[in-house]
Parts: sequence; C-alpha cells; structure tokens
Amino acid sequence: MSRIGVFVCHCGENISRTVDVEQVAKAAGEIPGVAYSCDYKYMCSDPGQTLLKKAVAEHKLDGVLVAACSPRMHEKTFRKAAEAAGLNPYLCEMANIREHCSWVHEDRGMATAKAKDIVKLMVERVRKGKSLAPITVPVTKRALVIGGGIAGIQAALDIADAGHKVVLVERDPSIGGHMAQLSETFPTLDCSQCIMTPKMVDVANHPNITLFTYSEIEKVEGYIGNFQVTVKHKARSVDEKKCTGCGVCMTKCPKKKIPNEFDQGHGMRPAIYVPFPQAVPNTPVIDRENCTMFQSGKCGVCAKVCGPGAVDYEQKDTFTVEDVGAIVVATGFKLYTIDRKPEGSPIQGYGEFGYGTIPDIIDGMTFERLASASGPTGGKILRPSDGKEPKQVVFIQCVGSRAREKGISYCSKVCCMYTAKHTMLYHHKVHDGQAYVFFMDARTPGKGYDEFWRRAVEEEEAVYIRGMVSRMYQRGDKIVVMGSDIQVGTQVEIEADLVVLATAVQPQDGADLLAQKLGISYDKYNFYSEAHAKLKPVECATAGIYLAGACQGPKDIPDTVSQASAAAAKVMTLFAKDQLERDPVVAKVNEKYCVGCFACKKVCAYGAIEEKEIRDRQGNLVKKVAYVNPGVCGGCGTCQATCPSKSIELDGYTDEQIMAMIEAL
Amino acid sequence: MNAKASKTHVTCIEPAYYEAITEAIRKEAVQILKDETVVGVVGYLPGRRKGTASPALVTTAEEAGKLIFSPACVNNLSVYLTKAKKGVLKKGKVGIVAKGCDMRALAGLITESQLQREELFIIGVVCPGVYGFGAERTGTLTEANIARKCRECSVHLPDGADVAAGTHTELADLTPEEAEEMARIEAMPQAERWAFWKEHFSRCIRCMACRQVCPFCYCEQCLCDKNRPQAVESSPRPAGNMAWHLVRAMHLAGRCGGCAECERVCPMDIPLNLLNRRMAKELKELYDFEAGLNPVEKGPLNQYKEDDDQSFIK
Repeated sequence: MSRIGVFVCHCGENISRTVDVEQVAKAAGEIPGVAYSCDYKYMCSDPGQTLLKKAVAEHKLDGVLVAACSPRMHEKTFRKAAEAAGLNPYLCEMANIREHCSWVHEDRGMATAKAKDIVKLMVERVRKGKSLAPITVPVTKRALVIGGGIAGIQAALDIADAGHKVVLVERDPSIGGHMAQLSETFPTLDCSQCIMTPKMVDVANHPNITLFTYSEIEKVEGYIGNFQVTVKHKARSVDEKKCTGCGVCMTKCPKKKIPNEFDQGHGMRPAIYVPFPQAVPNTPVIDRENCTMFQSGKCGVCAKVCGPGAVDYEQKDTFTVEDVGAIVVATGFKLYTIDRKPEGSPIQGYGEFGYGTIPDIIDGMTFERLASASGPTGGKILRPSDGKEPKQVVFIQCVGSRAREKGISYCSKVCCMYTAKHTMLYHHKVHDGQAYVFFMDARTPGKGYDEFWRRAVEEEEAVYIRGMVSRMYQRGDKIVVMGSDIQVGTQVEIEADLVVLATAVQPQDGADLLAQKLGISYDKYNFYSEAHAKLKPVECATAGIYLAGACQGPKDIPDTVSQASAAAAKVMTLFAKDQLERDPVVAKVNEKYCVGCFACKKVCAYGAIEEKEIRDRQGNLVKKVAYVNPGVCGGCGTCQATCPSKSIELDGYTDEQIMAMIEAL
Repeated sequence: MNAKASKTHVTCIEPAYYEAITEAIRKEAVQILKDETVVGVVGYLPGRRKGTASPALVTTAEEAGKLIFSPACVNNLSVYLTKAKKGVLKKGKVGIVAKGCDMRALAGLITESQLQREELFIIGVVCPGVYGFGAERTGTLTEANIARKCRECSVHLPDGADVAAGTHTELADLTPEEAEEMARIEAMPQAERWAFWKEHFSRCIRCMACRQVCPFCYCEQCLCDKNRPQAVESSPRPAGNMAWHLVRAMHLAGRCGGCAECERVCPMDIPLNLLNRRMAKELKELYDFEAGLNPVEKGPLNQYKEDDDQSFIK
C-alpha cells in the first residue's frame, strides 16, 4: 500500500475562490493509499514547502501530489522540496486545479467536483510512478542568433563579449534591420544611424562572432545544449572573400532604376547593390530578378569592371551545419500591409484610406526615410508625388492596431511616440508647416516619454485631434482627410499635402514557418510566445531557445535592447556549466517485445531513435530493435502513441500510469 | 517482367490456365533452388483432398517440382515470412510465390523493416482470381465461385516481382459485391451502422485467427495480450470484442494490402475486409495514399509535412 501525501493549494484566492479546497483535501484523504492530505494558502511559499517536507518525514510518505497551478509554473519548486525531504523528485507530481479548473469555471460546486477528479487521477499517476534519475548532457558553448537587427546585434555582442562564440544569421544582405532605417530616435532625438552603425561594425570585427548575411535557417535539429542548425547561404553572386567593397560595380551597373527597399521604394538602386552605404558587410549582392545578366544572359558589366574578379554569376546556394548550444530568436517586425486584405489572412486592409493608390499617403517608416539625412530626399521633407514641401501634414495613429474589427486587437506600442517624434522632425524642417495628429489616446509610459509627447504638443505646435479618420481622397493636389473630433463632437475635414499612417507592427513574414522549424510556439498573430508572461519573458517553452525584440511583441529600442541583453544573460547562464541536467522524461524501449518496425523512428520529431542490433553470444544477429538516445529525446510521447505493440514508453507517462488515471475516473 | 502482355476478358477460366502457371512456377523454383539463389521457396503444394492446396516451404529441387498453383491457392504466403517460418530468412534468401494481393503485403512489410527486398526472390503470379469461401472448389473459375475480394481486384499483375508467371486474363463483368455492400453500410444512419457492427462483433469468439493470418500482425507481443496495463479485455465479451476489432482496424489503416485473409479465416463470418477497405478509402481520400503498391519510406500516418492541414490546432 502506498503512502501518498496530497497538498491542496489555495493560490491566494486564485483557486479557493472557485474551488472548495478544504473539501478537495478531505476527499483526497479518503482515497486508498493517501496517507496524508491538507490544504494551505500558498504551497509554493517557504512555509508551504516546509509543510510538505515535514509531512513527508512525519507520515513516511512515498509519493507527493501538490494540487495547485500548472506544473510549468511550480513543478520544479515542489520536486526540489520533495528531494530535500528525501524523496525521489520524480515521485512528486502536480495536479493542475488552477489553469485547468478554477480559472476556467464559475460554478463552485462543479469546479470542486472537477478538482476532486483531477486529484483522484493524479494520485493514481503518483502511485504508478517510478524513481528516476536526471540525465546529464554536454553543452556546446556556442550560440546562434537569428536576426541582425538591433536585438540580434545586442544579444550577439553581449554573448561574444562574455567569451563565447556566436553565429549571427541575417536574412537580408546587411545587418542593421529596421533601426538602421530610422532617422532620429525618441525621446532624445539622437541620430539612429550614429548609434547603430558602430554596433554593426563591432559585430563585423568581433573575433567571437561569425556573421552570415543573406542567409536563412533551413533546418533545426537537436535540443538544448546540442542543436544542429542548417544555415542556407543564399547565392550572393559576389564572392565575399574577394570583394573589397570598392563599389565600382554599383556605379557601372546599367540597370539603376530599381526601387530601393531600404528607402521603402522611394529611392533607386542598381541591380548589384548594397542596401545602404553603411551596410555591414560592405559586400554587394546581385538582385537576380532585376539583373539583365540573369534575365537575358547579356550584360556582365559588373564582372568586367570588378578588379578582384569577385562577381560570380554561377554561384549557388550553399549550406552549412552549425553546432550550437543555445539559440536567440530576434527576427523583428514588419509594418502592417494597409492597402488591401492580405491573401489568406483574417486581417482586413484599409482600402478606404487610399494607401497604395494616393502616392502622398505614406507609412511611418517611409516618413523616417524622408526625414533621414541618408534618405532619398537627403533629409528634406518632400512629398513623393511632386517633390513639393508639404505645408499641412496629417498623421494618423492606430492604423491597424487596436482595431478588433480589422483583425488586430493589440497596441503596437511605439506609434504614439514615433508620431510625436515625426511632428517634431517635421516642425524642425518645415518651419511654416502644420502637423495634425488623429489619435485615440497618447500612450507614453517610459522614461522621458510623456515629457517628449508634451513637448510635441506644447512647444512644437502639433495639433492633436482625438478621433479617427473615416475616409481620405484626392482633391486636386490635396488629400482630403475626413475624420471626427470626439472631444468637440464635430466632423473634421483637413486638406493635407501629405498623410502619414502609423501602421501596426506585425511579426516578420515567415515567422510561423521559422517557429515550426525551431519547435517554438506562437500566438494567433505569429508573435513568438514566451514561456511565462511575467517570470520568463525571454525564454521559449522550448528549452535552450530565447527571444529578443519585436518578434515576441511590439517593442521600442530600449525595451528591445534590454530584452536582447536579458536573452544573452540566459545564454551565458546556460553556458556557465559544462554539463546540463535534463528531466529524465524520455522514451525507453522494451527490447524483448520490440519487433523493429521503426514506426517510432519515422515519427520521432527529434531524430532520437536509432536502430540497435541485438546479437547472441556468437555474434549472430538476433534482431534489430529501436533505441532511444536519451540526450536527444524530447519526451513528446509520439513514439509511444505510434508503437503498435506498445513496446516503447515515456518514463513518467507510462501506459500503466495513463490507464490507471483513466480507470480512476 | 513478362506479364505486360495484352489483357483478355473471358467468362470462365479453365484449369489449363492454372496448369500453365504451375509449370512456370515449378521451372523457376527448381532453377533458383538448383543454382542456390535461394535456400527455400514458399509456395503451394497439393492438399490431401482433391482440388485443395496448402502452403508449403520447399527446400529441394525435387520438392519444388511438386509446387502448384490453382484457384484453391487462397493463402497469402507473405505471413510465413513474418511468423511461423520467420527463421527461414536467417538461413539466406528465400523465394516466395506471390499473387498481386500478396505482393502488396510484401511491399508493406518491406516498408516496415520486416523484410528486405534483397532477401527475397519473388515469383509473381498473374492471378485471375481464387475460389471464394464456401463456393464450389473444383473445375473452372467462374463468377459463381470466385472470391469476393477478387471481383474488384486491381492488382492482377504482380508489379515488382523478380519473375511473373501467367498471361493477363480476367473474368468479364463481375459485380463489385463488396463495394456495393460498403455503399449500403455507409448509407445507413449512424445508429443503424453501429448496430450492424455491434451485432457482428458480438459474435466474435476471439479465436484471433484474423490476427494470426494477417501479415501485418507481426508483433511478438500483441497489444491485446498485454495485461499490465490491459488495453483490451481478452475474454469474448461485447465491449472487449468491439475494442479489439476497432484497434485492429486502426492498426491496419494505411497498411492493409487488402488480401482479405482475415475475413476468409473468420469462423464467425464477420465481414472484416469491409472495415479494412473503409480505412483504405479514408487514406485514399485524405492523403491520396494506397497501401502496399510499392515500398515507401514513410506511410502517410507516420510522417509530418509542413503543409499538412493544421487548422485543427489553432
């Protein structure tokens, strides 16, 4: 007969508000094999844990069940407490009566009954549980950072400065990301490039950083401490080793009228190009879709003029496999496509705004380029249609953001501040101009942020109109902006020369596909999910993978840099040990009954299953069976579900445990 | 492959057709045993009663000269490579006489790592059909005595065999009885369909003949014999019977080659092949997959593709 202890937690009022915890504890005490049960306000607190340890000793418990929150939250806490009390930690389990019960139910009677059931079946799991020993695996002290924006750069520099090797992979031809595109930054109005480019150079020069630009993640295998990442190096058509960055190819390229992505399509670039003059690396790339040589086979000017002979039209995509122990994902954001409904997306467009058809309606990033000294207008605010200086500019906030009916309910966080900044930049450059801002409310939490906004309103003469815009259309060379001012309660009509939309921040294209390769979770908008909203904001639920920057949610630069450094700190913590202890929740094969159909091997997402030969004493092959590499096994249990003869089982989740749990109900 | 000859439709198949196949099998089997290509050949020998046949493993050229093929050669011989005669394979390459439906089982077993193609010499039979259960088992094969599964056979030609015996001949204009029966059951309201199967399964005596004869039930310990924990009740009672037959159908989804041996050996006449075919239909509709046509690396139920339908997750 087992001697199990059941500890029911109130979680303050989180559980006890809906569940009668006393009754649950009482009912648990009546389950055969339960030697002790009680309830307590905060089991995770020090007195709560002491209560558990004392009970193990006093009642000679051989298994412990804590009915409280999710095991994701506190399983480690209670297993440690159980271990301190002399129990094998894997004989301590949690029954989740918070997320699975009290938080999602209203009826106290029904919730209490359900909590009792959850406890009842988890007692069976504890009863059938076995003592397990943790697995140790070696750690590869080399990190991969995906994304070369400010988040990736910061994380890579921090890890590299701590003495570890870092591989930084960037999809575009240069690192720098969106921050390199910005003109000046709030709340200090310092030049973005001036603070960004030195960091980019640091990355390029750092002895611990291997930089792969124009590269993508192809495949991710392995697990915490031991990832094998296949990186696809897209054909640049220029040999990075030979190129000196002299730029002759770009000046000689006959095809020069290609809209420049870096300037949001408002400047022009040749077919062989670097995205911007400060690009790192300063190695051009050939845009094969727009290159005459690739399209018609006739040109080859760049190859002819290239002194070192670096231009290589025959270059192919190559692949390398990088062994790393930790991964920082910093893939950043893109701006909402506002002109139309993106195909296959639940998100609605803003066709009524005329974006895409009226050339002088632009988004915030385009305004950044217009205001930037390195931009297509050399820093002069000139409107795209006729190059005139706009005298009336309307800024519209929350385009896409906070619009549930349009498919996005979140706040993009940075638009209030950057719109205030835009009005200031505009006011500084066009002294007789007038800026209007349509806004829902100004959200300016952050050091010096509200002061900055007030300055825009009070000193820089921006007119803020609380309300939204319903429609915009072209009249002559003006854009008629029709909106409402809800404070005055009237309709407003402004004849604008230029309209700037603060469009929503969205995750990068393909964020979901990358997440599937990495095995990390993402929300309905494709933002990556952190392991805990408050206490694990940079960790993914998948061990060894960390998040930095706007790929996790909209963020401004200081927040992004903080998170990047936090992710780097997590990586360093991981790298501080030579060996890593892992939960022994891994699959084991019953070699006696395994018939070697290897269905398990076929379904294993971790590549953890190998073929093992069983030989007799004379060395004759008796049979082939499956073998699970415990270091690689992710403990997902897919093999267990697939095995037709039930010859493979996950420790801690054996068929016997699961069947006993079902039987208990 | 010499069986790609033009197809002929006839109203009955004379014993002479089978005699020609018998000759071809004997010639091939004698040859490969003589030149020691194989250590044995799994085929059919005449049964003790006239007109019957029984599976056999022959290891000498002399015995091989007695091998036959007739409409009574109903058994799927691939099962002998996984169960009773499994040890044979350890001695070396084995020859096997295989009809089209047996070939599908062989392909499936290769897929599931139970056999290696190199260790087999397959004498394929261009089979026009075999006798049905309970039918008149002598003389010509006609619409009256052909097995139900053979009425809708799509694998007369044993594709992928080392050699093939016979010319492509089929009985003309057979009604697809099994397909009609499937359509009838599918058209039933759910409750009625449930009752239909419940009645059939309630008669099951759990003799496990369906398992023993199935080439894909090669587990050394069947899930249904496990008692810790017990997944399926082992005594013949309705709940356990239902569980067993559903487990069996699910385990065969995407694997069953349609030899219908389970149905043939069932002493209680449970129409098991209807379940197998229904699962095969699902696989065809969902994944455009047909089991056992060729050995594959992964069946559709054992693989994940990035473009799989994931709408049910979000």
